[in-house]
Parts: sequence; structure tokens; C-alpha cells
Amino acid sequence: MAAQNLAELCAVLIENHVGDLAAQIFTTLSEHGRCTATTLAGHANIPLRRARTGLATLIEEQLVLHHTAEEDAPTFYTVSWRNAYNLARHANVIALVTERYGEAAGQVIKNILQLGHARVGDLADAYNLAPASQRDSGIDMVHAKEGMTNGTAKPSTQHVTSTAEFHGILRNLLRDGILAKVGARSFMPVSDLQEQLQEAVIVDQFPDRKVTGPKKAREFGAAVNELKRRWQIDDTFSEAVDVGSRGAIKRPGDHFAPNKRAKLNGGLANGHAIDESSAPKLSLDLIVRVDFTRCTLGLRSRRLHQLARRVLGNATGAVYGALLKCVERKVRIIRSEPAEDPDADKILPSANLNEIAESLDREVDLGSSIKGVGGNKHLKPNGTGMKGKKNHVVDDEFAEIGIKEELSESEDDEPTANGLSSYRSHAKRVKMIEAHLMLLEEHPKGFCKRARAGSTSTDWGIDFDALMDALIEAELDDTITAKFGKKSLRVVRMLRERGRLEEKQVASFAMMRVKDVRSVLTELQSEGLADAQELPKDNQRQPSRTTYLWYFDTQRAQSLILQQTYKAMARTLQRIPVERDRFRTIIEKAERTDVKDHEQEKLGQGERAYLREWREVEERLLTQVARMDEVVVILRDCSAKDVSLDT
Amino acid sequence: MAPLELSAECDELYSTLLTAATESEEGLKKQFFQKDVAEVAKKTAKSVTELLKVIQELQNHALLRASRWQGSLCWSTRPRGAAEHIRVLNTNERTLYEYVEDAHTKGIWLKDLKKRSGIEDGKVQKAMSKLEGARLVKVIKNVRAPAQKTYMLFHLVPSDDVTGGSFFDAGDLDEVLIEEVANLIVFHVKMASWEESKVRQPRRGRSPVDADHQGDDAVAGAETNGKKRKRTADIEDSVPARKHRSRDYEDIVVQLAWPAGTREYPTANGIHNFVTTMDAIRASKAQQLTVAEIQGVIDMLVWDDKLEKVGAGYRTVRGISFRPPGAVADDEDEEDLEKVGNGLTQTPCAKCPVFDLCGEGGPVSARNCEYFAEWLNHGT
Repeated sequence: MAAQNLAELCAVLIENHVGDLAAQIFTTLSEHGRCTATTLAGHANIPLRRARTGLATLIEEQLVLHHTAEEDAPTFYTVSWRNAYNLARHANVIALVTERYGEAAGQVIKNILQLGHARVGDLADAYNLAPASQRDSGIDMVHAKEGMTNGTAKPSTQHVTSTAEFHGILRNLLRDGILAKVGARSFMPVSDLQEQLQEAVIVDQFPDRKVTGPKKAREFGAAVNELKRRWQIDDTFSEAVDVGSRGAIKRPGDHFAPNKRAKLNGGLANGHAIDESSAPKLSLDLIVRVDFTRCTLGLRSRRLHQLARRVLGNATGAVYGALLKCVERKVRIIRSEPAEDPDADKILPSANLNEIAESLDREVDLGSSIKGVGGNKHLKPNGTGMKGKKNHVVDDEFAEIGIKEELSESEDDEPTANGLSSYRSHAKRVKMIEAHLMLLEEHPKGFCKRARAGSTSTDWGIDFDALMDALIEAELDDTITAKFGKKSLRVVRMLRERGRLEEKQVASFAMMRVKDVRSVLTELQSEGLADAQELPKDNQRQPSRTTYLWYFDTQRAQSLILQQTYKAMARTLQRIPVERDRFRTIIEKAERTDVKDHEQEKLGQGERAYLREWREVEERLLTQVARMDEVVVILRDCSAKDVSLDT
Repeated sequence: MAPLELSAECDELYSTLLTAATESEEGLKKQFFQKDVAEVAKKTAKSVTELLKVIQELQNHALLRASRWQGSLCWSTRPRGAAEHIRVLNTNERTLYEYVEDAHTKGIWLKDLKKRSGIEDGKVQKAMSKLEGARLVKVIKNVRAPAQKTYMLFHLVPSDDVTGGSFFDAGDLDEVLIEEVANLIVFHVKMASWEESKVRQPRRGRSPVDADHQGDDAVAGAETNGKKRKRTADIEDSVPARKHRSRDYEDIVVQLAWPAGTREYPTANGIHNFVTTMDAIRASKAQQLTVAEIQGVIDMLVWDDKLEKVGAGYRTVRGISFRPPGAVADDEDEEDLEKVGNGLTQTPCAKCPVFDLCGEGGPVSARNCEYFAEWLNHGT
């Protein structure tokens, strides 16, 4: 059961995104749980017709999932908390995609996000690319409603220009998993899906419908997992099945070909090689949506990258970023399925040094930020041609990343790389990358480690489970420091490390006066972050004869702060209409058809300043929501431990 | 009650025992069992009866005190001066004195004295003040129970348990000393953690740290400049004092990492060695500091995010600086508060005192929130 704060936040998000009817239906549905359209209309006190309209909108965005067990059975609707919350993540996803795939891809993602899901053909129409297109048929009309930006969204600056580019972008996004194929199963609640799975297995393999005894149960579980995996593969985009000119490639038997998975991974690993212009078009009937799990992975990587950069400097951070990028392609899901054999060594997702070198930006100066590794030479990429200009750029970069500049003048005179020297420089580069990785490994947070401990293999892996715990703790620490100050941080970290402690022990470890410690502990306790366990010395349970052992429960603090974040997000979003009300006159004027797009001429200077002020206010509030979403990414979505949304 | 004169052989025995005691590690606490005493007193007392007579005499003169240890009787010596004082005490006082003596360097609470001796309240008070007046016992402050009166023999130095260790001054936490030691440790560890070098770069309008993080903060575009600078300043070179400006260039101190595994970062032992041999701390204090106490300070610094453990040693967290000696501690903490934080803590909600009450239709809501108004106006 999701908590009230989340419900409120989701209602606000849905109201902003698709309107208040949908929000009302969502709220009713979330309060009453799974029900049919008729019951829902009754609960919400609205006509059935309207309820159906609202549900249709919600289903389009996958905010509500539905399931019909049999042909004539009534359809049941359930809310999807995760999808509803994901509305708040839109801004971050767009930013992530723009950062990685460029402006145009960001624009495409933005449109798909607004639609919930979209047919490739319709999207192409909207971009005026398909032959039978009318302008404005798709995207902008389907939801002319104000999106998150409430009508002040600036018109996109960079449109997709060619069909090839469009398909290239989509293929890239699909291949990296940012976009996912939409099938009928995407609209089904997880529990129904599970039931259907089990039913299918029973019908198929257990004709007597009896699953009794441990042996059978195990067989059953394995079969269910197997089928689940097959369905997942079935629902995943694959180059072979989903690329245009269907029929030619799509053979029924191809579906479960054993080499398929391998092919998929292979395709992901050297993804850069695909030439976009010659790539085949996607089927126009393919329906796509944004896969948020994947995006969350991306956000997590970004966060880790930032952390590494903060503690070890820019060059090392960049190397870590490259490692993360390589590893990310190999991780399918955040939640690792429980290992069948707990004793077996965990296989870490890992990447080879060469892969890392491949995806690392060549401009990054690796040598000079570690003492004595780079020597005195700045390793040049195969710098040909634009030397003078580039040098300048590099200089700037040095300054920006604040590392020691050791570029010697003479280097410019070096001959351009021939075969041998390029081989040498590559080897040197790889060696330096390794030095950075070792630095990361050495750090107490354990950013990465060699894939096989003890060996000198060139594969480097990341133990996400352990790292996520550290990341969550760091997030909690940040929150606590900002809210309560450094002294509280010290106490919290001590309690986490040392376990349950008595007040006097806390004082002596923290080197603080008992009086100060008491006030810190009381404050934390009243906020629910720390708690004391009572140990009465006798039967009377007198407070004076009781020992209090203080402790800090990370998981509790995590969910507490998560709830606070939900609430603060809701409040921040709720503030937007209030602010809009304050600027009502100018917004209305700016939205008038004759003024729109001609603000420069039609509005006076004062009015323009006023309008700008409103936009800043709105931007600021929305930015804050996006930043809070980053907190949610860490606290809720990055670790497999949080199960608050598994319904 | 006691004979006026101490016999010569007793005196001799006492002197031998006293020397043995003072020479032993335990000092006056040294306990002699019957066979120990017999060994020493071989010449004077041939038989057990004779030995007992001698001991009895010493006990009467309060030069020996009897106690029981693991079921067998044993004796320990008292200094002559104390013995003289004790001899003139009455029974109550003597009992109380013996309790205090038993407690040794741990001291004994007044409450416990009363309870154990069974002597009534007023008499205990009177006796204790007399003992205090005679400079036989003294009142000390126990950090564990500052409110309780704790007594201890006058000539003893309270144990670390009672005083709280080197970082306590007369029962009170010596925060200045802790801060000084912490600062010293940060200084020492920092020198060994990173290679510092100066980078000369063309002066620009914005500080390089800002430019560096512009990319990061694309989302935070709405933040004001001032705020942004504060937030990111902790990342790298928060050593503003070190910036040396020439006309068009400025030198910025940057920290270069040592290659992994090639460096031995200072360990607790090494740090202890440095702190105690540095002249920064009073010699008597420096002698007192133990490795465990230094380890305590190190742990504290780790919790404060100033040091991090690497292998067996410690390294400063990147960007941490020490306070130059002599500088007055400024409101560093205040600034730090501004720097850290996340999406949640930057909102007015995070510090809202009525956050729990806030809700649509309630007395407080997003609509009438004054903190939001203030937050939005701030910097615009």
C-alpha cells in the first residue's frame, strides 16, 4: 500500500499532466483499490461515460493498468504507482537523453513522454516525415493540454529533419533500452501477469493441476521463471524482429532462437558502429514507450559519476563515467534476481579496459591528475589538423577541471601518430586508465573492483549492491547535515558504525558534552531518525533505573526521508498554480493568440520583465521537483531493498 | 590505644616492605601475602606467631592495612605521614578512610560511602570534612557522574576513567584542545595525502570551480549565482586564503592524487607520534595522549567527513583544508550548512516547522505558505 504522500503527489502530477478528471479518477481508484469501471464511477460520483473517458486517458499513459480475466468477465482497473510517479521524472529523463544522444533525441523523448506511448508511424507523421503527413496531426494535437510546463513550454529549437535521422535516433534509443516496445502485457498489473504466467505453466506442464511437495514446487518455480524470461525477451525490442520490412526477417521460429540473447548483448556492446543513415527503417507499426527502469539506471550512473568526481577529481571521475557507461549496457535490470546459489561468487557486471578506453572522451587529460603517472607528457589524441585551436581548448579544459597542467611546448612539434606510436599511445592510455581505476578501487567507498579478485585481469566490475548502500547512506548524510548540522552527522554516522550506544558512550566517542549530545539525540528522535531502546534494570521500569540505547535505523530513515521528499514535491508542484495566479494578468495576455510568438513587439518592457519573472519562478519550482526526483532515484529506485512500490 | 613507640624490628620490616612496594609497579597498592611478609621478615620473626605479632603492631600503628584478596589475607603499606594522621582518627573516621583507600584511584561516591559504612548521615558528613581538612582525602570530579561527590585519597592522581582521559580538564570536556588536535591531525594527514601544486591560469570572471560544474547544474539553472558558488565550492579548492593573484593570472592550489597502492598514508600510530612530538601541544599533555585517544579523534574526523580510511592509513577527503594556526575559528559550520544538501533540503519544506501539519484544506498549505514566498523572492 503506497502511502498518502505518494498518492497526493501522483494526483498532483496527473492533474498537471492530463487534467483533473483523470486525477480524480486516479485518486478514487487509489483509495478503493482494484475495481471495475462501474464501481469506480459510483465511488467517484461521476457518470460512467466520463469515468470511461478518464480511464482511457490514464491507460494511454499507463497510469492505470487493466486486466480482463476472461472473454466476458468485467475488466478490472488498478493504479500503477510507479508509472504515475514517473511523471515527475520526465524532466530528468529528457535531460539525460539530451545529454547522451543530443538535442534532437531529447525532443523525440519529450514527445513520447507527453504521449505516454506512441506508434512510430504517428511520430514520424508528427515530424512531417512520412509521405502521408499533415502538419500537426499527431503530437501537438493529441494532448493540446498543457504539459508539465503549463503552456509556457518553449517551442523546440531543434527539429528532426530527415527520416533517416529520425529512425536512427529511435533505433539508438531502442537498442540502449531507453525506449521499449509496448505490447498488450505492458498494460497489465504485475500480479495478474504473474497469475497468468502460473496458469500458463500449470496448463502446459502440470496437467493434474497439482503442485505439491518441495520438488514439484521447485520445478514449478523454475518453469515460471523460464516462461517469464521468454515473455520478457518477447517484449524486448530486437533488431531482427522489429526492424522494418517485416516478413522478410520475421520468422515465427526466430523468436526463441537460443543465440538471440547473445546477439542482443553483442549488439549493445559495440553499439557505436552502426551507421545511422544506412540503417533500415523501423516498422511504422511499432509502438514505443520510454522505459523508466533504464533511465533510472542512467540517472544512477550520472550520480555515481558525480560522486567519484567530487572525491577523486575530474579525470578520475571521467574514467569512472566511462566505466559506468560500459557496464550500464550490460546490466539489464536494477533488481538482480536472487542468486540461486548464495555461496557462489557474485558475478559483477564488468567491462574491459579497452572498452573503457573506447568510450572515454579523448579530451580528458588522464596523466596529470595522478602524481607521477603521466610523466611530463600530455597524451594527445590523434591530434591532426586543428592543432592551434585545439590547444587552446585543452588549456581551457585544464583550467576548468582544475588539474595540473603539464603540457610542454615541444609536444606540438611531434610528428602525427603513425602506426607504432599510436599503438604505444594507446597502451599508455590504457595504463593510465588502469591507474585511475585503481584509485577508485582504493577509495573507501569501493567504486569498482577487478572482475576477478586478485588477478591482474583487465576486466573491471562494479559491485552495485554495496555501492548503492554507500550512496544511500551518503544521501541520508547530506540530508541530515543540511537539516540538523555537522554535529548530528557525526552522531548519526557513529551510531551507524558502532550500533546501539548509551548516551554517555555517544558523548565520549563523539567528543562532545553529554548535554550537547542529549539535545542532538532528542532532536533526531523527534524527527524519527534516531531512536532509543529501553533496557529497564528492574521490574518497575522506572525511567531513572533504565538504560537507553540509541540507534540509527538506516532503512527507516530512508523511507522517512523518501516520504518527506514526496510531500515536498507535492507542495512544490501545488505552489505553481498559486504563483500562476499571482502573475495571471500577464500570462493571459501573453497567451492571447495575437500576442503569442510576438512577445517582443506586443508587450511593453515592464510586461516582458514581469513575464520573465513568472517564467523564472515556474522554472525554479520545476527544477526543484526534478532535483527532488534525484533524491528519490537514490533512496527508492537504486537499491533492490526498497519495496515500497512493489504492489 | 597504640603503643607510643614502634619497635625497631617492626620499623625495619616496614621499611623493607615500603621499599618493595614503591619499587613495584603497583606502588602503594602492592599487596603482600603472608608468605611474602614471612620471606621479608625471616630475620625478625622465625615463627608464624611472632610474625603475627609484628604485623599486629604495624597494623596498630596504621602502617599496614589488612585486606582480603581472593579469600586470603594480605597487607599493603601506608606512607608514614598518612599513618600518623590515621592514628589520631576515631573509629568512624577510620572506617570511612579505609573505604576511600580501597577505592584507590577510582574514587568513591559519598552515597556509596554512607551505604557501605552504615554510619548515619550527619556523622559521615562531619567525618569526611574532617578528613578533608586533614588533607587525607580530597574531592574530585568524576566525568561519569559530575553531580556526585567523589572522594579519593589526597596523594593519589585520579585514573583516566574518572577524569575522562586527556581531553578532559578538571572534569570538563576540553573542546579547544580537541579542536586543536583535530586541526593538527588534518594538517599532518593532508600533507601526506595529496600532492599539492599550483596551477597558473588566466584570470576569468568566474572561478574555475564554477565553470567546472556548470554542466552538472544544468538542471539547477534557476539557482542564483551566489548560491551556486557556495554549493560547489566544497568540491575542489576551498582554500581561498591560498589564492595568490597577479595581474592577469591567478595561482590555484590543486590536489593531485598519488597512484593507488604506492603510498602509505599515515596510520593512527604515526599520527600519534606526530602529534605528541610536535611542540604545538603542552608537553605534559602530549605525554598523556595515548594512541587510543588519537584514534578517537581520527574516528571523529572520519565521521565529520574530513578523513577517509585508505588501506591501513588515513587520507584527508579531497578539498578539506586545515585552519592555519592562530586563525580564529570562524563560523565555518554555518557555511558548511549551505554547501551540502540535496533536492529535498533546498526546498523550504525541508526546514519547515509545520511540515507535518501542511496539507490541502489544512491550516497550512502550499497556497498560504510564507516560506515559499520568501524562497522564491530570495535572489530574484
